[in-house]
Amino acid sequence: MTLHIVSKSPYTSSALKECLGAFASGDALLLIEDGTYVLRHPALETLQSAEIYCLEADAAARGQQQLAATMDRVEMINDARWVQLCTEHQPIVSWFR
Amino acid sequence: MSIKSLALCRTAPYGNALAREGIEAVLAAAAMDQAVDLLFLGDGVFQLLDHQSPADIGQKSLRRNLQALPMFGIEQFFVCEKSLAEREITLEQIQVAGAETKTVKDTGSLIASYPTVLSF
Amino acid sequence: MSNLIVNGREIPLDKEGYLRNLNDWSRDTALQLASAEDIELTDEHWQIIELLQGFYREFELSPAMRPLVKYIAQHLGAEKGRSIYLMQLFPPSPAKVASKIAGLPKPTHCL
Repeated sequence: MTLHIVSKSPYTSSALKECLGAFASGDALLLIEDGTYVLRHPALETLQSAEIYCLEADAAARGQQQLAATMDRVEMINDARWVQLCTEHQPIVSWFR
Repeated sequence: MSIKSLALCRTAPYGNALAREGIEAVLAAAAMDQAVDLLFLGDGVFQLLDHQSPADIGQKSLRRNLQALPMFGIEQFFVCEKSLAEREITLEQIQVAGAETKTVKDTGSLIASYPTVLSF
Repeated sequence: MSNLIVNGREIPLDKEGYLRNLNDWSRDTALQLASAEDIELTDEHWQIIELLQGFYREFELSPAMRPLVKYIAQHLGAEKGRSIYLMQLFPPSPAKVASKIAGLPKPTHCL
């Protein structure tokens, strides 16, 4: 299963849109850097059953932590968990622009 | 047997260096007998569009470099069907001699079938 | 590497001896570039040089060994489309040496 990593804001970049277009069932999504703004984006609703992860430090830096806390289906993670996710998924696709 | 990788080509050809760097990486890998498949997605489908004449902006034709890929042993291109439709590009406009253009509906499953994916 | 003087005209080379400007190429230039590689150009050499220039016009890049072999096999047949044949004509590294004599840039995908 693929781990998709989105690192750009959904309001300025096509990263999220193209990622969702290439999302297979069973894939997982990880939000980092400006990708953490995806938490407030309605497109997230289209991923009903997927695992969604968000790097906590990046979300907190951008004031997204309270929003994240209200979202049961998003798991907030640290760097060690990120590494673990990378070992659990193959391939890993970076949507960096 | 070598491990096959997938290169995701997501950017239009001349606005920045990513598309160029992507094909350079693919050509280098192919010259070393490392098989790479290509999936053109989003604005990346513009890389395949015919009649590119970038000489006057001081660049080499990316399309012509792509046409060399069959010589490097890469004889098929995957192209996202939806990305073509959004940009009103027809299959006739993106044909490359010596290579088969395969449109893909379910890009997610294609991506998931490779151990390694490079994104450009 | 110093520049070439061909028919009284100075032709700039890069530090590895490749032509800086493709337009400077001529048969006389090729003869001098070849002699610097200790190669005496025969009809067999010219045939490959012309094909290599055709490859560059078509694809805008200098081929590494494998695509060069394939391209030559397509145009001249399997007998000449072999690395051993090219190795005999353009030792020790046919893709690089032949590109240089043909006035093309160094193949970028060659180590």
